[in-house]
Amino acid sequence: MRILPFAFASVAMLVAATAGTSAVTKVSGVKAAQVMHERHEGMETVGKAFKALHREFDSSAPSVPTVRASAAQMANLAKRSSGWFPAGTGPDVGKTGAKPEIWQAPQDFTAKLSAFQKAALIFNAAVASGDMNAAKARYADLGGTCKACHDKYRTEMHH
Amino acid sequence: MPRQVSDGDAPLSGGSGAKQPVWDLPVRAVHWLLAGLIAFSWWSVHNHHTDWHIWSGLAILTLLIFRLLWGFVGSSTARWSSFVRGPASVFAHLRGRWNGIGHTPLGALSVVAIFFALAVQVGLGLISEDEDGLYTGPLYRLVSIDTSDKARDNHELWFNLILGLIVLHVAAIIFYRFRGKKLTKPMITGRAILGPGTRPMRPANWWTALICFAIAVGITRWVIAGAPPLSTP
Repeated sequence: MRILPFAFASVAMLVAATAGTSAVTKVSGVKAAQVMHERHEGMETVGKAFKALHREFDSSAPSVPTVRASAAQMANLAKRSSGWFPAGTGPDVGKTGAKPEIWQAPQDFTAKLSAFQKAALIFNAAVASGDMNAAKARYADLGGTCKACHDKYRTEMHH
Repeated sequence: MPRQVSDGDAPLSGGSGAKQPVWDLPVRAVHWLLAGLIAFSWWSVHNHHTDWHIWSGLAILTLLIFRLLWGFVGSSTARWSSFVRGPASVFAHLRGRWNGIGHTPLGALSVVAIFFALAVQVGLGLISEDEDGLYTGPLYRLVSIDTSDKARDNHELWFNLILGLIVLHVAAIIFYRFRGKKLTKPMITGRAILGPGTRPMRPANWWTALICFAIAVGITRWVIAGAPPLSTP
């Protein structure tokens, strides 16, 4: 369990660094378009990293470099995701899979987003520890945080 | 000028009365299970139950394999050879010169189209993965991530074709209903009043159906295992 102190320290720093940025700050115009674009690209990259991880963990001999790279990418994007959901970037502004409920229930949404961020960091730490079995379990936890948020706050038609 | 003849599916002038077997139990079971599973597949994937959706698709795969085999060894009206006919039969049927039981030559085209569309749909599903990389069809490892993603998009699009075929199928049933021929009840009870001189269904052995089902389950289980040795973990 040596990964845990590192993981919790990271999470604490993350929470401190991102407090107050998500779902409350209001943006508009060019800034809103930029955020929505970055969010779309970012989420797509998160999805690709997760798919690559799925294939590795489903394999009898996961490629450690691929797992490390995808986990690091995931942790990095998870940090940046704090800035992806300011008010004013909903479906009334442009094409997005983000549901208006995000800004109607910002507390619940922010809790789900930070659960994802924590899970991504804990997963990355587990991968860094080199124990692929532990990493696989944390990867499953991470997938659960994706689903919890997407089931509630993402629409189906968002390609 | 086509000669005016009484239609093969015209209501009978009483007489024979007793209902005769036209559809065997496996044909009816496959029909209604498919209807239920298609509806369930649609519902589950739109309600965040992708895991149920995948199991439903695998159940459809089992039914398709079973029905394919039953089409070679099943009862007379279940056999591909008894209803898949050339264009000449279809035109004869359209002119009212068809007087048999089972699928009409035109209806047979619909059966084949639906069977083919479902087979393609299941095939696409088997190699698909969901958008988040959380769920995968059992054969996703046979293809790349990009191909899996494209397969999922096409799986979604192809469903529209299936919907179209279902609409046609139901429309045909309503059309026949207005012409006085009830098709739904025979598909439930398996029996119908036949025209004079029409031979009823010749049934197959029940254990032949069990063998077909066992083979279908066996192949499905092999697919669930990733179709070794085609894809190995």
